[in-house]
Amino acid sequence: MNVDLTKEMPLIEGRLTLAQIEEIIAKPLDTKPNKKYFIALSITLSLLLIGATALLISFYYGVGLWGNNQPVGWAFPIVNFVFWVGIGHAGTLISAILFLLRQKWRTAIARFAEAMTIFAVICAAIFPIIHTGRFWLAGYLMPYPNQHNLWVNFTSPLLWDVFAVSTYFTVSLVFWYVGLIPDFAVLRDRTSSKIKKVFYTVFSLGWRNSHRNWQHYEKAYTLLAGFATPLVLSVHTIVSFDFAVSIMPGWHTTIFPPYFVAGAIFSGFAMVVTVLIFVRKIFDMEQLITLDHLDKMNRIILATGMMVGYAYGMEFFMAWYSGVQFEQFVFINRAFGPYAWAYWIMVTCNVVFPQLFWFRKFRRSIPVMLVVVIFVNVGMWFERFVITVTSLHRDYLPSSWGYYTPTLYDFGILIGSFGLFFTLVLLFVKTLPSVSISEIKAVADGAQPTHHGSH
Amino acid sequence: MENKSMEFVQKPLPESVLKTGIILLIAGVVIGVIGLLLDFDRMIFSYLIAFVFVTTVSLGALFMVSLEYITNAIWSVPIRRIMEFLASALPIIMVLSVPILLSMHSLFHWTHTEAVANDPFLSGKEPYLNTTFFIIRVIVVFAVWSLYYFMVTGNSRKQDLTKDQKLSHRNLVFSAAFIPLFAITISIFAVDFLMSLEPHWFSTIFGIYVFSGTVLAGLASVTIIIVMMMEKGYAHPALRNDHLFSLGALLFGFVNFWAYIAFSQYMLIWYANLPEETFWFLARWEGYWVVISLLLIIVHFIVPYIVLLPQPAKMDPKRLKFISIWILVAHLLDIYWLAMPQMHSDKSGFYAIFEIGFPIAAVGLMIVVFAMNYKKFNIIPVGDPKLQRGINFRI
Repeated sequence: MNVDLTKEMPLIEGRLTLAQIEEIIAKPLDTKPNKKYFIALSITLSLLLIGATALLISFYYGVGLWGNNQPVGWAFPIVNFVFWVGIGHAGTLISAILFLLRQKWRTAIARFAEAMTIFAVICAAIFPIIHTGRFWLAGYLMPYPNQHNLWVNFTSPLLWDVFAVSTYFTVSLVFWYVGLIPDFAVLRDRTSSKIKKVFYTVFSLGWRNSHRNWQHYEKAYTLLAGFATPLVLSVHTIVSFDFAVSIMPGWHTTIFPPYFVAGAIFSGFAMVVTVLIFVRKIFDMEQLITLDHLDKMNRIILATGMMVGYAYGMEFFMAWYSGVQFEQFVFINRAFGPYAWAYWIMVTCNVVFPQLFWFRKFRRSIPVMLVVVIFVNVGMWFERFVITVTSLHRDYLPSSWGYYTPTLYDFGILIGSFGLFFTLVLLFVKTLPSVSISEIKAVADGAQPTHHGSH
Repeated sequence: MENKSMEFVQKPLPESVLKTGIILLIAGVVIGVIGLLLDFDRMIFSYLIAFVFVTTVSLGALFMVSLEYITNAIWSVPIRRIMEFLASALPIIMVLSVPILLSMHSLFHWTHTEAVANDPFLSGKEPYLNTTFFIIRVIVVFAVWSLYYFMVTGNSRKQDLTKDQKLSHRNLVFSAAFIPLFAITISIFAVDFLMSLEPHWFSTIFGIYVFSGTVLAGLASVTIIIVMMMEKGYAHPALRNDHLFSLGALLFGFVNFWAYIAFSQYMLIWYANLPEETFWFLARWEGYWVVISLLLIIVHFIVPYIVLLPQPAKMDPKRLKFISIWILVAHLLDIYWLAMPQMHSDKSGFYAIFEIGFPIAAVGLMIVVFAMNYKKFNIIPVGDPKLQRGINFRI
């Protein structure tokens, strides 16, 4: 490795001018979508349609079409919910925590990750609502004084989820939009289309790039970052409470909150890398989203992957150490019982494969990282499956043991959520700047005042 | 391009610093030993608390060193030596574990053979909780920390002379390898020295809980030292309050992290209400312990949170110094709260005054260690390639 540590590494490759940066980022918005784009869109829309169909049939005949049954009442819907909420966490981490930690490399990936947060939360929100079986009653989740005197169960973590996730969605959306304002102004000033001009003008809120504009913007952004940071922790903490406040062995363990948060960031980064690999290639953004960026993200994947591995190990150790036979049974059953296959998929994908990222060569190799991050996505889905299903399927009463098998409808809805997610991603890359123009300009070569020679 | 800031000449510390350290150390040990003679069972707990306290200060500083390398941080380069000096105590602390190993019978219920034999839970834990394995673990854990310390500081000192960038890269590799080992070893340390005091109790988050306190202890100690050095003119003249900002921000972050972890642990155990877990918290809710439990929330979280919340506070030397000392005291209280309810002595009252001895000795030890290191080594890593950028660092 021949990096000169005495100098700051450039974040953008190839000394682009500010106009070139603008050009690269705005190009997908200025050009008409080509055939490939429509092919991609039709694929994702088909997936979405599969999900919608499965869902409609489920509503018509009832959720009995799903595999959920005693003893596994919590299956795919919760697994998918936790999976999608987790995916969202990378966005908030990058936009809020890395911002507060002054990690300038975040600029190139923050916008995209934030957008993915919003899309992932939309996907996630579907599942608890459909899991109730009567989605049209979802309004009652909001506690309000009503004639029936019906109140939600405030002691249930499922209700806390409603508050946590909706707060998370709101703050993420505001954060995302605030970051977009200066970019809307840039687009407004450069577009030649009248319709677009109206759209951009409205959304740029009269941004004039003045000193005062920027001062307010910076202040608002820092404050929002401060608000969003606890959300990174709180949302998945509350999701982990769904399980951990119970007295179910395998669910009730104190490490769950930080373990879930680490897992969420892990899976979120994996998803961001998965999508960015394609985006930077297709839209010629390799100079903005460089290998260095991917390298850094892969390091975070390695670190969070090991945190998750630590939690797996710690849970196992404490199950033995506790001396509680039920705890011990659940964990042995997890690793060697009927769902051993799921457990070992999880361990291999989440703990073993990311170890490749110890090596710089693999962190910077697109094929290798693509394989690893997809494995991580798979592994993290299985993690939620393992936690939910293995703990439930053999409870205290051996006479009620069972084996959960998902049905086609379960898979259909899962596929549909992927369809929804990628449809939104595709629409996003063609309608909004997927990299922050103003932030990238701020880290471009020569944009920063230096302190060299002055004290 | 010769830069003025490279001409920094290290001022020798006044003798009074070392003297203060030695006096505190001796006074603390004397008070502690008198206490031990009066009430051994109680004071050996006090010794354990001071031992854990000083370990966490030193280990927290060591963790900060490894964090700087793996994150390629710039701001902390000019103050990294302070962390290294604090971490240099680890091999000495390893020796200080001997009194604990000699009096395990008074500290750890699981060393009582007859009790273990009659208790299926304890006999089930015997493969882990037995004296031999405990001693092996102590040795291994401290060996790992000391080894990393010697490797990383050895390279850093070599770099002072050679300015070889390869050494930075080598330290990066060591640090990356150290982090997972650190996670495992600190968890072992937490379980062995604190959790196993109540051998029936278990909590998977406990290692992380101790980790959060450890980082806070390291950060707070480093902050106190750098602020004092800047005040008295011993630090590099180009260092500004900007360099303190990250320390303040990290202190704030880890105050919140500690509260988050502590809350998670309490909340889940309280909510599930399983007797095999709740008894540990109930013991901390009995008698006057309820006061200390509630005090801990205020002292360890609410006060530092309020003090550190405003942005300017994070780089205000006066406020940082105050809150760092506060956090160290809070951290000591935290360890006290973790360990002391497990004490088996039924004497109380008057003897408690002697419990101040060993913590004072711990502070004295750290001052002595720092002063000795200061005499021997450069306070600025003069050969570090990132040093100039670190000195020029501004928010």
